[in-house]
Amino acid sequence: MRRFPIWSWVWLLIGLAYFFIPLASTLEFSLRMIKGRYTFEAYRVAFQDPRFYQSFGYSLLWAVLTIIISLLLVVPTAYWVQLKLPKVRPYVEFVTLMPFVVPAVVLTFGLVRTYGHPPLVLTTTPAALIVGYVVLSLPYMYRSVDSGLRAVDIRTLTEAAQSLGAGWGTIMKDVIFPNLRVALLSGVFLTFAIVMGEFTFAALMGWPAFGPYIEEIGAMRAYTPQAVSVMSFLITWGSIMLIQWVGRGGRGEVQISGAR
Amino acid sequence: MAFLDINHASKAFGEMSAVHDFDLHVEKGELVSFLGPSGCGKTTTLRMVAGFEMPTNGTIVLNGKDITNQSPNERDVGMVFQAYALFPNMTVGDNVGFGLKIAKKTKDEIAQRVQEMLSLIKMPELGDRYPYQLSGGQQQRVALARALAIQPQVLLLDEPLSALDAKIRVELRYEIRRIQQQLRITTIYVTHDQEEALTLSDRVVVMNAGRIEQIGPPFELYNFPTTPFVASFVGTLNQLRCKIMDAAAGRLSLDGQEFRTTSPVVAGRGGDALVMLRPEELHLGSQEGANHLKGIVESVAFLGSVVRIHVKLGSSIVTLDALNERNLKLPKTGESLVVSFPPHGCWVMAGE
Repeated sequence: MRRFPIWSWVWLLIGLAYFFIPLASTLEFSLRMIKGRYTFEAYRVAFQDPRFYQSFGYSLLWAVLTIIISLLLVVPTAYWVQLKLPKVRPYVEFVTLMPFVVPAVVLTFGLVRTYGHPPLVLTTTPAALIVGYVVLSLPYMYRSVDSGLRAVDIRTLTEAAQSLGAGWGTIMKDVIFPNLRVALLSGVFLTFAIVMGEFTFAALMGWPAFGPYIEEIGAMRAYTPQAVSVMSFLITWGSIMLIQWVGRGGRGEVQISGAR
Repeated sequence: MAFLDINHASKAFGEMSAVHDFDLHVEKGELVSFLGPSGCGKTTTLRMVAGFEMPTNGTIVLNGKDITNQSPNERDVGMVFQAYALFPNMTVGDNVGFGLKIAKKTKDEIAQRVQEMLSLIKMPELGDRYPYQLSGGQQQRVALARALAIQPQVLLLDEPLSALDAKIRVELRYEIRRIQQQLRITTIYVTHDQEEALTLSDRVVVMNAGRIEQIGPPFELYNFPTTPFVASFVGTLNQLRCKIMDAAAGRLSLDGQEFRTTSPVVAGRGGDALVMLRPEELHLGSQEGANHLKGIVESVAFLGSVVRIHVKLGSSIVTLDALNERNLKLPKTGESLVVSFPPHGCWVMAGE
C-alpha cells in the first residue's frame, strides 16, 4: 500500500496559503467599507468611476499591442539565432536582460529624450509607451520563446518544411508558431500581467494607464483601491484563461508533448 | 550525362575540409548508398544535394539543370531525416499533404494523393492520428510518404533507420526498397550500416575522411575491394601478414605454414605480403584442393545462422564463419584443428 504523502500536502498547503492569504485579506478588507457588515459598497463606488473603465481599457489595448509587437520581434529573432547564429545567443540574451539592469525610470527618460523631439517624435502618441513595454517584456518573452525553440528540433523541422517547398513565411506561420504555442502562451501571460500593472512608464510619460490609476486612488481612498485590485486580479485571470482557451485553436484536442 | 550529376563537389567549413572532390553520376531510378563511418562526409554530401549546404567547389546537376545555387525549397527533392521530423502540430494526413498544399493543389487532389500515399506505406486508416500517437517505425513511414507525396525528382534519405529497433529496421529496409522500385524513384541513401547499404543498393559509394574510396555494386565492393579501408570497413576481414616464398607461383607462408593464392602477389611494407581472407572462405577440417593450416581454437560464438570461431594460427588469430547446421559439431576452446580455404579465396592487397 502506498503511504499517504503527508509532506507533499503540507508543502502544497503552505504554498497555497502564501498565495491566497494576502488575496483573501484584500478581498475581506474591500468588503468592509460600511462599518459592521460586509457589502460590495467599495465595488459600487469603483464601478461608478468612469476613469476605472477608461484606464483599464487603455492598458488592455496597450497590452495587446505590446504582445503583438513583442511576438513579431522576438519569435523570428530567437528562431534565427537558434538556427543560424548560435554564437550570437549570449549577446542577444544580454540585450533582453536590459530591463533588469537599467531601472525603469532611466529607461523612460532615455525614451523621452530620444523620441521627444524631431526627427522621430513618438511621445505624443502611446507609441513610445508601447515601445517601452516591449523592452520591459523582453526578458520574459525571449526566455519563453527560446526554451520553446530548444524543446523542439527546430532545425530539422525547418529543413523538412524547406525540402517540401515551403518559404520562410510559411515555415514561420505553419511550423514554428504552432509548435511554440505553449511557450508563446507563457510569454504572452507574463507580458500581459506586466503591462496591466506597470506604473513607472505610464506615470512618467503621462498616459492614463491602469497602474497609475490604482496608485492614485490608493493615495486618496481606503477601500476602493482594494476593490479595484481584487477586480483587476480577477479580470487578469479571466483574460489569461480566455487567451488559453483561444490559443487551443480549432481542433479542441490539445497536444502538449510534442513527438520527437 | 546521368540523371543526377555531382561534379567534383567539395565542401569546407572554415579550415576543415568535410568533402573533397566528390564525383558521382546517378542514373534515373537508381538507388545509391553513401556508406562510411561518422564524420566521413556522407551526410554533408547529401545535404549539398538537398540544398542545405552550398558546395565550396563543384556543381550539382539534376535532370540537365544546374541546381548548385538553388535554395532547398526550389529543388524538387524529397528528404527523409533520421529524427523523422514530422510536424507535431499536424495530423498524419496534414503532414503528408503539406508539400501539396504549398504547391497549391486543390483540396480534392490533396486528399486523393494523401490517401494514395497512406496506402503505399500501408497505413490507410491512420490519417487522423498525430505523430506522437505513432510508433517510431510508423512515424518514419509517414515521413517517407510526406517526402514522396510531392513526386520529387530525387529522394534523399539521411540515416532513416538509425533511430529504430533492430527488427523494425530490417522490416522497413525492405519496405523502402519495395516502394523505391515500385515508383522507380532516383534515391540517395546515407547510412553507416554496411548491411543496410549492401541489401538496399544498386550501387554503394564507400567514403572515408571526406573522400570517395570506391563506388560499385554491393557484390563487387564486398568481393573486390580496391582499398584497404573498403576491405576492412565492408564486412569482416582477416588481414594476415605473410612471408613471400615464391611470388610467381603464389606461394606464401604464415608463421611457417605454407599456402597458395591465385591472386597476384605483391610485396608490401617490409617485403611481406598483406593477405586478405573473408571469414566465410575458411572451413573447418580439410577439403580437397584447398590450403590447409593448423591452429588452436581461441573462442566459439554461436550467432544463430552463423557460428563465429576464432582460431589461432601461429601468432595471428583469424575469424572463421561456419554456417549453422543441426548436425554441426561445435569445436571447443583450446582444441587443435585444421582449417582450409581455397587458393582463390584469398587475395593480396597491393602496396600494403
